[in-house]
Amino acid sequence: MGEACVLKDVRVWFTKDFECKYISHLDLNRCMLRALHKSKIPIWHTEGFNVHPYATFPLPLSLGFKGERECMDIRLVEDYSYDLIKDKLNESLPRGIKIFDVTEPKMKAKEIAYAVFKIRISSDKITADKLYKTVYELFNKEEISVEKKTKKKGVKEINIKPYLDNYKLEKNIEDVILYITLPAGSVTNINPLLIQKTIEKYYIIDAYFDVTKTDTLDKNLKSFK
Amino acid sequence: MINKEVEKILLKVQKPGRYVGGELNSVIKDKKDVDVRFAFCFPDTYEIGMSHLGMKILYSIFNKVPYIWCERVFAPWLDMEELMIKKNIPLFALESGEAITDFDFIGFTLQYELSFTNVLNMLKLANIPVKSRDRKELKQVVVAGGPCTCNPEPLADFIDIFFIGEGEEVDLEVIELYRKCKKENKTKAEFLKLASKIKGVYVPALYDVEYNDDGTIKSFTPKDNAPKIVEKRIITDMDNSYYPDSFVVPNIEIVHDRAVSEIFRGCIRGCRFCQAGFLYRPVREKSIDVINEQCHTLCNNTGYDEVSLSSLSSSDYTQITDLLEKLNGWAKEEKVSLSLPSLRVDGFSDEILDKIKTVRKSGLTFAPEAGTQRLRDVINKNVFEDELIKTCSKAFNAGWNKVKLYFMIGLPTETYEDVEGIANLAQKVVDTYYRCENRAKGKGVTVTISTASFVPKPFTPFQWYAQNSGKTLQDKQQHLKETISTKKINYNYHDADTSYIEAVFARGDRKLCKVLEKAYEKGFHFDGWGDCFSLENWLNLFDECGIDPDFYACRERGFDEILPWDFLDYGVSKKFLIKECEKAYQNTTTPHCRLKCSNCGAVKYGGGVCFERR
Repeated sequence: MGEACVLKDVRVWFTKDFECKYISHLDLNRCMLRALHKSKIPIWHTEGFNVHPYATFPLPLSLGFKGERECMDIRLVEDYSYDLIKDKLNESLPRGIKIFDVTEPKMKAKEIAYAVFKIRISSDKITADKLYKTVYELFNKEEISVEKKTKKKGVKEINIKPYLDNYKLEKNIEDVILYITLPAGSVTNINPLLIQKTIEKYYIIDAYFDVTKTDTLDKNLKSFK
Repeated sequence: MINKEVEKILLKVQKPGRYVGGELNSVIKDKKDVDVRFAFCFPDTYEIGMSHLGMKILYSIFNKVPYIWCERVFAPWLDMEELMIKKNIPLFALESGEAITDFDFIGFTLQYELSFTNVLNMLKLANIPVKSRDRKELKQVVVAGGPCTCNPEPLADFIDIFFIGEGEEVDLEVIELYRKCKKENKTKAEFLKLASKIKGVYVPALYDVEYNDDGTIKSFTPKDNAPKIVEKRIITDMDNSYYPDSFVVPNIEIVHDRAVSEIFRGCIRGCRFCQAGFLYRPVREKSIDVINEQCHTLCNNTGYDEVSLSSLSSSDYTQITDLLEKLNGWAKEEKVSLSLPSLRVDGFSDEILDKIKTVRKSGLTFAPEAGTQRLRDVINKNVFEDELIKTCSKAFNAGWNKVKLYFMIGLPTETYEDVEGIANLAQKVVDTYYRCENRAKGKGVTVTISTASFVPKPFTPFQWYAQNSGKTLQDKQQHLKETISTKKINYNYHDADTSYIEAVFARGDRKLCKVLEKAYEKGFHFDGWGDCFSLENWLNLFDECGIDPDFYACRERGFDEILPWDFLDYGVSKKFLIKECEKAYQNTTTPHCRLKCSNCGAVKYGGGVCFERR
């Protein structure tokens, strides 16, 4: 410590897919810290008793979701090439996590307002056609109420209908694709699996949701940078 | 690779990361390029199995051979198992995602007797016939290694080959033989006969056991020229023995999530209750430079920021401070911390304390094992009360205020006075805290006592001893609880019921195979876990099979009885064990290997501590 140095904030962009789809945010954090340690990139470490590399995630991804444009913020203690950060981290990470870009952060994490999802919905029990009609009908209801876990470990019944206005539904031979933008970030968060829950609740259908988070947006619907 | 059927159930189970593989450094091969597919099965959860050093070493050794592809398999947790059965998904290997049903080898590591039901259950989940004789072709060879193979008999009907001793060399010799037999179209029976000629291999099908009317063994006879005595395998040169340069790095948190280097095998101490201390004789050290290099390489290849120096008693490494000094040469700079588990009370020096993180300030753990000096002499622990008090003072003055003390209950010759001795010793530690002038300001002290119930094990001087009954053990636990008079002492005890079943299988014979067969048919699994274990179910099962479990757990054996594991040679002679047993009952200790050789027999391996210059 003691040495004066200028810390440089860096945003690392990555995808989370394959096996790594199944690890929690806490485990992702651990994987990243280990990769940072292995790569020997000169990053800033927290000070104190349990020293560890500093890394934060502007919008964590739920276990089970793929992420196409995830990001992590770190701080460099000296100049270091972005390309090298990318290559060195990729060598140190499991194959399910790939760094595709390293940039300067343009926005602050608290500016995040929405997340964009691509959801592949399928079912063993009913045809894609019927599934499409079901989802279509659901989205056209006046009110869609569902139980949502609150931060205080309780459960609350909420109407998610007002949040389901920016979407597109597509029918395939075997499944249905739902493109949807939902509130995300520090204020309101709507987990797309709440939609799965409502399908189960209203139509008693076991629907399989394959969720990919494709982008993160600010309040003006501009891509988070 | 995750197979499609598995993918559909993953989001319905806890911790799906256990079942997907894809970790850094996991080995993917093309199955077309290999001759032998080996399923390395750990009969417990991913988090426990992935923490096991032996598996890391063998996984790496096997995969270094181009014609072998070794993959990892763990026992699916209850929720996953239920869904796999419901959806008809056979047990699969993490690397390929493929069912292990038709693999060449199904290998198990046996670390704990209560995992035996998981071994059979995993075979069942893999759609592999559980009994050795029902697997007729030369494939699905079920092999097992690890400490519990020192009494393999309760599993004799199920396992084709047991590896006795250290696996680094013998496993590969057997795999190579299999490959040759396969090419020559030999039968499974021919292969097994040839395998039995390899040192360290035990093929139970090649032996006949006859019993006396009282249930003890009358004779144990080899067939087809199988060896009468099976000798353990041992690596004598630790420096030149293979050690992995990378570990598979789990994506989810596991129990021991760090780099590990073995600093030596074996233990000089000869504590009479400790099986490992006898099985792994003689002590063989790795040299400082080799350990240093291995630790550094492992950290570089995994990204771990913690290295643990593994052994049965770390402070007994001859040059421990030099080693720590050397490691700190790069570790401090690279922000890697060192940890040193298994520290003896008398090995806790300032020099060591300075160089390691040990456990964080919250936990300091010592194992006096018994509450009185007399009983510590019986078990040959060779730790004295004043050493414990001195060490605790040191720690308290350095800021610690929590100490954990491990003991055993039910040791041979134990009296209620010895049990009270546990509480008294803990009380003395509490008193010591308040005498320490530099103790943490404004903080109280917590001393946690944990007791395990003593389980007599093969190849120890207590292998003839009758385990205390469950009732006696519970009475002793209760008595200890009542002797403790302060809230500063916490008392935890390990359930005596599991120790009883552990004792039955630890010293069991082939008659127990039918119990295990019934157990797997009834769906027994995860018996090492409180979630599943039921003493009542086990007792019913023994009853159904007409077997009295007390015969195995609570019966004192005579020195002249043929014990089920007598045909195995771990280097330690029966004569020595008898002598140690007699000394125990006379409260007499035996000096450790570096003070004086006690002629245990391990000198015959021609290496290690027996040949150190003194």
